[in-house]
Amino acid sequence: MAYSEKVVDHYNNPRNVGSFAKDTPGLGTGLVGAPECGDVMKLQIKVNLDTGVIEDAKFKTFGCGSAIASSSLATEWLKGKTVDEASKIKNTDIVNELKLPPVKIHCSVLAEDAIKAALADYREKHAAADAEAST
Amino acid sequence: MDHFEVFGLPRRLAIDGAELQRKFYELSRRYHPDFHQAAPPEQQAQALEASARLNAAYRALRDPIARIEYLVRLEEGRETKEGAAVKPKAPPELLEEMFEIQESLQEAKASNRSSGRDPGARATLAGQRDRLVARYRDEEARLRGPLSAAWDDGVPAERGRAIAGFKDALAVRAYLRTVIDDIDQALGEAEEGHVSHRRH
Repeated sequence: MAYSEKVVDHYNNPRNVGSFAKDTPGLGTGLVGAPECGDVMKLQIKVNLDTGVIEDAKFKTFGCGSAIASSSLATEWLKGKTVDEASKIKNTDIVNELKLPPVKIHCSVLAEDAIKAALADYREKHAAADAEAST
Repeated sequence: MDHFEVFGLPRRLAIDGAELQRKFYELSRRYHPDFHQAAPPEQQAQALEASARLNAAYRALRDPIARIEYLVRLEEGRETKEGAAVKPKAPPELLEEMFEIQESLQEAKASNRSSGRDPGARATLAGQRDRLVARYRDEEARLRGPLSAAWDDGVPAERGRAIAGFKDALAVRAYLRTVIDDIDQALGEAEEGHVSHRRH
């Protein structure tokens, strides 16, 4: 089975690989895994606390080419979106963009899970900070 | 007909391997195409089908872990008619740990390429591998032992929880397997690197 050109491109030149320092303001981290294949994926967002816009995103994925491409694409899409807009990214968008075959759809699901986990982590931290500020 | 039924067995995990093998041989002979050559075509086709079904059932049931994986699929298949199957949840600490091991593995590979083999790093990696293999075996022992017993002895109401327990343990086992394979690969690559280094 051949990978699509876009998958190969993201695999050979992954965008936004890395991680942010733990104390980065507006940070949200999602760490997810696929028990079927043992892949692990970490995706982080850095949100501008004034505007609610995702200024930067990074990822690190240990898995197959499709998992790397899915998370690489996800970080590209996240940048410039608000947190609410970002929560609308669906795995099917990733499947269509990367032309993933049916056996690799779970890689896009993993990327969507990672986005959701990062957003939830950001919201959780942010809500806690808000609650603290108001007391 | 499910794989348990092929052998006339209840849907239980405690299966005597020797007894299963004996039944397999007995049924194999019964369905073997050679004994049905004189039979009408549809009967021959039936025997062939039964023979294929028997082989698939034996493959799925002879190994205790494969047996559990099959049971989960069987039970979930029934569940999906009523609702979505529950996704297994590996403990977050495990994901964290697997991620960290993969990260250090990547660094080790990178430094291997730049500076050749480092015996100290290699020994650390091999030690880590052994500890992970021990945990992998523990997880399999847990699946074959207490978790299987919980399924076999539990009342029907507890069976959903037993299946969830299997799925979580199988997930942990899968993560460990992947990281062990990756370490093996890294150790193998380091070996090859070493050989080619000496050749130069």
